[in-house]
Amino acid sequence: MVNLKNWDQLLDSFCLHTFFLNFFKITLRRHIIPLSLFFEYYQDKIILEILNHIKIVAMSIPISILVSVSLGFYISSRPNIAKYVINVASIMMTIPSLALYGVMVVLLAPFKLGLGIVPAISAITIYSLLPITRNTYLALNQVKPGMIEAARGIGMSKNQILWKVKIPLSIPVIMSGLRIAIVMGISVATYASLIAAGGLGYFIFAGIGRANLTMVLVGAILISTLGIGINYLLLKVEDCITPKGLKVKR
Amino acid sequence: MIELINVTKIFGNKTAVNNLSLHIEKGSLTMFIGPSGCGKTTTLRMINRLTPFDKGNIIVNNTPISDIDPVKLRRNIGYVIQEIGLFPHFTVFENIAIVPRLLKWEQKKIERRVEELLELVTLDQSFTKKYPLQLSGGEKQRVGLARALAAEPEILLMDEPFGAIDPINRLKLQDSFLEIQEEIKKTIVFVTHDINEAIKLGDKIAIIDKGNLIQYDGVSQILSNPANEFVENLLGQDRNIKALSLKKAKDYVLKDGFITVLDTEPPETIKKKLEEKNIKIAFALDARNHLKSRYLLEKATNTKKQKFIHNPAPWIIERQNNINETLSKMLEIGEKQLPVVNRKKEFVGIIKLSNIFEEVNRKEIISEE
Repeated sequence: MVNLKNWDQLLDSFCLHTFFLNFFKITLRRHIIPLSLFFEYYQDKIILEILNHIKIVAMSIPISILVSVSLGFYISSRPNIAKYVINVASIMMTIPSLALYGVMVVLLAPFKLGLGIVPAISAITIYSLLPITRNTYLALNQVKPGMIEAARGIGMSKNQILWKVKIPLSIPVIMSGLRIAIVMGISVATYASLIAAGGLGYFIFAGIGRANLTMVLVGAILISTLGIGINYLLLKVEDCITPKGLKVKR
Repeated sequence: MIELINVTKIFGNKTAVNNLSLHIEKGSLTMFIGPSGCGKTTTLRMINRLTPFDKGNIIVNNTPISDIDPVKLRRNIGYVIQEIGLFPHFTVFENIAIVPRLLKWEQKKIERRVEELLELVTLDQSFTKKYPLQLSGGEKQRVGLARALAAEPEILLMDEPFGAIDPINRLKLQDSFLEIQEEIKKTIVFVTHDINEAIKLGDKIAIIDKGNLIQYDGVSQILSNPANEFVENLLGQDRNIKALSLKKAKDYVLKDGFITVLDTEPPETIKKKLEEKNIKIAFALDARNHLKSRYLLEKATNTKKQKFIHNPAPWIIERQNNINETLSKMLEIGEKQLPVVNRKKEFVGIIKLSNIFEEVNRKEIISEE
């Protein structure tokens, strides 16, 4: 007892389905090179660009730490200035990262540093100022006033209060700001390849140019993996340097 | 020991402490009390220079504190605050050892001192390795006290140390704090806003209002002789009852009006003895003077016959109980007199409601003169 009308419809929809499937298969065949082949061909380039990527981030973060942590310490006891500093740093963060690279290229061009690693490092440094400065500022101010009063009351000098009380209690928060900055730096460093500084962004932009999906995917996955891996590692470090007394549970 | 001479502190256009003079004796526990914002904490903080004063002078141990480096001064004055101020990243040992370490004591001496202090504040030695977050409020406060005492300061400043602790534990802490003070005999300045705490702990009370010293005197003098209405209101309507908490049962023990018998004697003999001496109560003691039971000879209400009652386990009062507790027990069980025992549970005498009344009345007359 087959209803013929229904059967027709079913057949139609099946054909439609296979048509799209076939179309998708053709697309895949045309744009995706088998991974094994890709890795064989690009092995050296991949390793080189991973190292490049790490190098760019590793060179900008120390500068950023130096500037932001000292800035954070400076503004921690000056709430009036702190307001402005945090605001300016926040505005920096709202600039699209790609635009920031552009700005750096234009600004540094007169010094013949317009392309390459220098503008890349400057852009990432500026971009990571906010999380570290803000967290340093917040960390130093989250120490309870009562605790500092107690430290003064039992006869600790200003330096002793800073080194023995404020800093140990702030380290976890400062460290998490650092972690955010580094992970963000890894993602922002993608654009570095656009200004001839290299890095894993190469695969993404080259992949787009050649309509090579494999290349784009490999670049994206490598950057994410690098970010996730380093985030995990820094979480471990954060846990290690958090004073034990702050982690215990009753 | 501590001498405040015409001390004045002005915050902006508000006078926090106004021309305050006070002499705090060595080894005494002085309570600063007053409504919040009255300047009591400011006065305390001026003693260790946490707050600088504008006029006048403070002399500690014959030296004006303005001549002493504030950091050095503070290391010689213990300081305990309400928010405890224990450092969460330090263990209990490290917390207590802070000041001795700042003073560069030898490690062995520090270890010995910490052990001593934990014993003093009745904490187990196993606490040394714990962190503040693992302690209860009461335990933290004990560690805070131990830390303040670590470098053997002669003076202790305490700013509402028991303020954040629940009422039941606060009473316990006050008791053990009194015991500790009996042992260490430090000069203590203690800020509180709880009048009951001030009466219970203080040797002397300084009542402060709007930066002015209203009255500074011994606790019983203040209770019987409030300087003005403000002090009266602060002490409350029940100040005579509060005054009773200063008296102990031992002050009212009577040795007559009862007879003692051995608990092995038969009731008939005891009844006969009572009738002979025209006394109504007999306490039966065992060979070690421990109270075993009570015999009562009472007139029955509607007949002329006398009732003879035997209570096998009578209520007792301890010598150290204060009169408040004694009265409360009397009210609870409806007795006008109770037997008193000492620490070893030996019978020492009886305490009578009428006696306590006489005492209260006598004091009222004195204060009205």
